[in-house]
Amino acid sequence: MPQTTIYASPRSVGAPQELPPAVATHELARLFGGNPALAGVTLSIPAGRCVQLVGPNGAGKTTLLRILATAIRPSFGSAAVDGLDVATHPELVRSRIAYLSHATGLYDDLTARENLAFAATMLGLDRSSSDQRIRNALDEIGLTEMATLRVRGFSAGMRRRLALGRVLLARPSLVLLDEPFAALDADGIQLMERLLDRWHRSGVTALVASHATEHIAARADATVELEGGVIARVSGEGVIARPPKREPTAGRVIEVAP
Amino acid sequence: MTALRRNATIAWAIARKDAIAEVRGKQAAVSTLTFAAVVLLLFGFALGPDPRRLADAAPGLLWLGLVFAGLLGVGRFHELETEDGALEQLTLYPVDRRSIYAGKAAIGALAMLVLGALLVPLVAILFAVEIVRALPVLSLTVVLGAIGFAAVGTFYAGVTVRMRAREVMLPLLVLPIVAPLLLAAVKATSAALTGDPLGELPAWLELLAGFDVVMLIAGAGTYGFLLEE
Repeated sequence: MPQTTIYASPRSVGAPQELPPAVATHELARLFGGNPALAGVTLSIPAGRCVQLVGPNGAGKTTLLRILATAIRPSFGSAAVDGLDVATHPELVRSRIAYLSHATGLYDDLTARENLAFAATMLGLDRSSSDQRIRNALDEIGLTEMATLRVRGFSAGMRRRLALGRVLLARPSLVLLDEPFAALDADGIQLMERLLDRWHRSGVTALVASHATEHIAARADATVELEGGVIARVSGEGVIARPPKREPTAGRVIEVAP
Repeated sequence: MTALRRNATIAWAIARKDAIAEVRGKQAAVSTLTFAAVVLLLFGFALGPDPRRLADAAPGLLWLGLVFAGLLGVGRFHELETEDGALEQLTLYPVDRRSIYAGKAAIGALAMLVLGALLVPLVAILFAVEIVRALPVLSLTVVLGAIGFAAVGTFYAGVTVRMRAREVMLPLLVLPIVAPLLLAAVKATSAALTGDPLGELPAWLELLAGFDVVMLIAGAGTYGFLLEE
C-alpha cells in the first residue's frame, strides 16, 4: 500500500455550492472476484471542470469511469452524477453522460452513418435534429466521405473517430473518456484536443483517463492520481478527495490459526 | 414522445439494425437455412422410405427443424452485440431495457417466420404432405410458435451472451423451457394438416397464445437485469 497523500484546493474545500457536484463518490469500492479494483474512493468534482485521471495500469481508472458510466455497479460506497446516484437512477445518469471506452461499441456490418443513426435513435434524438447532428459529427471527425462504407473495413483510428462521433451526438453534462488519444493519428489528436477545449468552454465536465498526459495537462483544471484502487494524490483546483476510511484488502496476508 | 412510442422506436431500431447486419453478413443466414434443411433431410432418412410414416412425422420434423435452426438465429442476434464492446454500449444508452428485449425478440420472431416460410414448403415436398388447404391455420401456428420461441430464446440468449460456452449453454437452457410450445405447435400443425377430426386445434392454439403472453411478459420484465455486469 503506497503512502497516501491527499491534496485539495483550499479555495474549494468547504466552499458552498448551489449545484450538486458533477461527480461525487463516497468510499467507492468495486471488487472483481474478491480483488478490489477500487478500494474506497471519495471524490468530488464540481461542474465544468476538466479533470485528468492518471495512474499506472490496474490503478482503477477504468473501473471508476465504468461505475460513473453505469456500466458496472459499485460493490460498496456510492457514486453520483449531477446529484443522481448511479445505482438507483442509472437511466437518468445515462441521459447526462457520454462515455468513450477502450472498445468502440460499433457494428461492423453497418456503415459509419448507420452506426451514428442507430446511436441517435437510442439517444432519443428526433429525425430532423439527428440528421443534422450526424452530418455535423461526420464532418467534425473527418469521415464524411467514408459515411457510406461499412465499418468492418475501417482502421483502428477511424473506428476510434467514429466512436467519438457518437459522443458528439449526445449533449452530455459529463464526458467520460478512457484513453481518448489511443490509436489516433496527429489529426485525430488535434481533433480530440479541440473537443476537450470546446467542452471546457461550454461548461461540460470532462473526466479523462489517459497515459498521454502531454495532451491533457495544459487543459486540465485538476489531476487525480489513482494507485492500487485508492486516490494517491490530487492537484489543481476544485477537486476534493479524501483518503479511504479503511485500508484495501488486496495483498493483505491473513494467517489462519491451526 | 410518449414512453410507449419511444420504446417502440427503440425496439424497431434494434430489430432493423440486426436485420441489416444479418442480411449483409450472408454467411450466418445461409448456414442457418442450410442447417435446417439438412436436419429435415437427416430425420427423413432416419425414418425410412414409408410415405405414411413420413407424413405422420412431418409436423414434428418441421418444428424440430424450426427450433434447432431458431436456436442459431436467436444466439446470432446477441452475438452481434459481442463485437468490440457493442453490448456495453447498448446498455449505456438511456433507454428502457424492455425495449431492447422487444427489439431482439421481434427480430428473433421474424427470423423464425422467414425460416418457417421456407421450411413448410420443404416439408411438404420432402414428406409428400398436402399443405395448401391448411395454409391459414398453419401460418397462424407458425406465427404463434415463432413468437413464443423468440420470447424464450431472446431471454436465454441474454443469459448466455457473456458466457464463453454460450453456443452449448443456449440449447441446454432453451430446449426444456420450449417443450410445452413444441408439443402444442406439433399438435396444432398435425391437427391443421389432418383437418382437425377431434376438434382439438383451438385448444392447442390457445395454449400457444398463452405461452407467448406469459413468456413475453416474463422476458421483458427480467431481461434488463441480465444486462447488468
